[in-house]
Amino acid sequence: MNDDRFDVIGRVTRRQDGHAMVTGRQLYSSDISLPNMLQARVLRSPYPHARIAAIDTSGAERLGAVCVTPEDVPRVKYNERQVSVPAKTYRDRTVLPDKIRHVGQGVVAVAARTEALADKALDALDVGFESLPAVFDPHEAMRDGAPQLHDAVMLGETVLPIERNIACSREAVEGDVARGLEEADLVVENEFTTGRAYHGQLESKAVVCRPEADGGITVWATTQSIHNTRQLLGILFDIPLSKINVQRVPIGGSFGSSIQMNSSVAICVALALKAQKPVKLVLTREEDMYDHCKYPSNIHLTYGVKRDGTLTAGHLKTVVDIGGHNIQAYPLLGCMAGWFVSLYRLPHLKFEGTAVYTNKAPACAMQGYGNPQVTFAVESMMDTIAEALDIDPIDLRLKNYVGLGETFWGQGPTVRSVIRSCGVEEMLLKGRAMVGWERRGSPARKTGRFRRGIGVGRGFHTSGTGAPTPGEVIDYSTAMVKINEDGSVDCLTALMCHGGGTLEAGAKMVAEELGVPLDRVGISPSNTRSTGYDVCTHATRGVYCGGASLLRAAQDVKKILLDFASRIIDVNPEALKVQPDTSRGQGFVFLPGAPAKRISVAEVAKTAQIKGWGSIIAVVSHRQVNCPPCFVVNFVEVEVDTATGQIRPVRAVAAVDAGTVINPDLAAGQLEGGLCRGIGLALLEDTTYKPDSGELTCGGYLTDYKIYTAQDMPSLEDLSTFFADTYEPSGPFGAKGVGEAANNATAGAVANAIYNAVGVRLTEAPITPERVLSALTREAEQLQQGR
Amino acid sequence: MTTYPIDIKVNGEWKQAEVTARETLLDALRNRLRAFEVKDGCSQGDCGACTVILAGRPVNACLTLAVQANGKEVTTLKGVGTSEQPDPLQKSFVEHGAIQCGFCTPGVVVSAKALLEANPCPNREEIREGISGNLCRCTGYTQIVEAIEDAAAQGRGGVGEREDA
Ligand code: FES
Ligand code: FES
Repeated sequence: MNDDRFDVIGRVTRRQDGHAMVTGRQLYSSDISLPNMLQARVLRSPYPHARIAAIDTSGAERLGAVCVTPEDVPRVKYNERQVSVPAKTYRDRTVLPDKIRHVGQGVVAVAARTEALADKALDALDVGFESLPAVFDPHEAMRDGAPQLHDAVMLGETVLPIERNIACSREAVEGDVARGLEEADLVVENEFTTGRAYHGQLESKAVVCRPEADGGITVWATTQSIHNTRQLLGILFDIPLSKINVQRVPIGGSFGSSIQMNSSVAICVALALKAQKPVKLVLTREEDMYDHCKYPSNIHLTYGVKRDGTLTAGHLKTVVDIGGHNIQAYPLLGCMAGWFVSLYRLPHLKFEGTAVYTNKAPACAMQGYGNPQVTFAVESMMDTIAEALDIDPIDLRLKNYVGLGETFWGQGPTVRSVIRSCGVEEMLLKGRAMVGWERRGSPARKTGRFRRGIGVGRGFHTSGTGAPTPGEVIDYSTAMVKINEDGSVDCLTALMCHGGGTLEAGAKMVAEELGVPLDRVGISPSNTRSTGYDVCTHATRGVYCGGASLLRAAQDVKKILLDFASRIIDVNPEALKVQPDTSRGQGFVFLPGAPAKRISVAEVAKTAQIKGWGSIIAVVSHRQVNCPPCFVVNFVEVEVDTATGQIRPVRAVAAVDAGTVINPDLAAGQLEGGLCRGIGLALLEDTTYKPDSGELTCGGYLTDYKIYTAQDMPSLEDLSTFFADTYEPSGPFGAKGVGEAANNATAGAVANAIYNAVGVRLTEAPITPERVLSALTREAEQLQQGR
Repeated sequence: MTTYPIDIKVNGEWKQAEVTARETLLDALRNRLRAFEVKDGCSQGDCGACTVILAGRPVNACLTLAVQANGKEVTTLKGVGTSEQPDPLQKSFVEHGAIQCGFCTPGVVVSAKALLEANPCPNREEIREGISGNLCRCTGYTQIVEAIEDAAAQGRGGVGEREDA
């Protein structure tokens, strides 16, 4: 797809970091190696709930190891995630804990010259635990007399007592749900669950910390936000931010796993400060699995609907099992409310969410932030309604979806905006033709062991968390753009690329704006010292918000460039244009129709330097005042083996409305990857626990957790992707996000395809073969009884 | 701890290292020989990020003892090609967008190299099988499989053609 309006936007180009990655020169945090660096290991609790009775580090210290215990670390209560405003930030943990709240929680950390020595030191530690009764089910945790994980936590600067393990709850009401349900011709309700999937980013969390001579520290860490990491370390260790430098390092996948400053970062810093030597801490895969997982869901959903398919009311109740610590449950509940009310128009609505502590690994954001969970339930229900009313599922969606000109809750009740670009109809209609919707047929007529079905899922994600007024969530980015004296361009930003091409997109925007060939625009390595604040690369905000900040800086730089050029070639700057000349590897400033009035960007920059006019440079902090939805549509065809319960996706069409697509090939790659993780959520992934010990059933092994390999990845005979043809007026060059949207609609589409194949509604994800078989058996029994 | 001297030919160059009896090839390559292009994704033989070619065969370096590599030849991603002289596979991965975060790439490209050396003309199923020991969480594999297919075609001097079949 090439867009004639642009020189580089929308064109397939070779990503700049591709060569480093493919020739082995790209280094990640886990590859950082410094002189005299110590290796760290952490002793972790085998108990899900316990008091720490005694700690003896003398054996480890005799081996020459440096040790830190809960006694040695700052007692400041903190939250790993720093995206909410302080007053809405729940703080319930310390660098090392006062009490154990899940298996795998770190208790004592050691650092020694080699990994082998660190392991020996770990063995030499003596820690006594006093085991406490544990609770693993959120509903049980809310009962009277259940073991209490936290007595009180901090909310902002106030002490918040915790009762019945409820970490927080949230409600959103508009209209009167009871009335809306009364007005309905049909009321449907059902319950849906999704699992605690594990991020499975290929690089396990890693950090290196080097203490500096001035009392400061330099940190290399797997993180989606270098600035939040720095700020939090400043608070915890009472070091001025000017002495903390966090480097932006490539990250080996994230999917939300490093949205927060992971607990290992603070542990590593504590060790390095005590040892006064660089320390490296890389989590083992097992430790990584006990560090975070996806928020699971348990959703009770009710809809009222008129005979013609118009929704009259919706009521969603959810209980979220957040594990041992509250990382971002409060904004999560708000977002779940927002996802729910922004999918389909509801004259009367109610959302009730409760987040509950249990003795399991803490849940955090993972691609979609509650959205795949809500959309799984809602999209399943849309098909239930369509069948009951004998309406085509696509027509029902077209009738009720929230689209152009309507209000969208980008980040919960407090962040609302009006939708100004929308490709939903285009994607539903085009996708319907591509997948061969007319082949669906009715499940009642399908027979034989292998049955195929086609399902649709529709969804969206927000592009960032911007809004006209400051809300509960911080959102802005800072960028610096500078034209060098040879006409090349440096860009500085704290924005991260998780692999999807965010920085590449930023470079393209700057190249487009300045009329400079793309290969002359570089994204500089950066750190917290060299960049202004950027909230975090999360919430599908990289291109829409981060890219916009680069574009704004480029616009400011362009003004200076044209002003300087006008002085040299004596043309009013307003009349000047820019354009790249790739054959000469240069950008040019020119007056259209006047060949003599043309000068290269390099010559302008060099002249400005020689004459002392100054550098062509600008820094911009930019907040988007909108967070437009990037819509997504998935069509999935599956084959159900009714003898084994195995489900094999065989065909898929994935489409996104991302506004102007900046990197078409990389965006298509994001759609494919998202679809696959969505299928994983639907069919495969969950971290389950042994009820007696509170340990992970998979034992910390990727093989036993199961993520798709190339071979058992449902081998799609046919996977197509396409983009809606839209333009977002508030986006840089008309762009919105892609990221999380890519997996939001998939699980719903899969469940609907299964229903279309076998006529049974599966509501518990992962939809494992056992669950399919037992549902099929139940259905058969009911049929028999009915007969 | 007792250490043993070993000689390994890494990407064409003989190197010496002192390793312990239980040290893995992965640790020896990364910690002693600074071959950081070999990634550690699990240390358990589950992810394939550490794949290297040892004496002609792809292995998980984390499941191989360093002493087993004594006197043998090891090829890592850097031995597959360099930025000056990239292998068709490396070019193809960049062109097909078969890399996102890039952390699995060193292992996947090495597995693909071993596959194409053993079978220059693999079909899609054989490609999927050949890289089934390498997890990629980002891409969903589609573009990786296409990149390998394309590199194989280029290695044969053109799409779909094969002279020595
Ligand atoms: S690091 Fe060797 S297989 Fe994962
Ligand atoms: S590109 Fe990230 S794991 Fe493969």
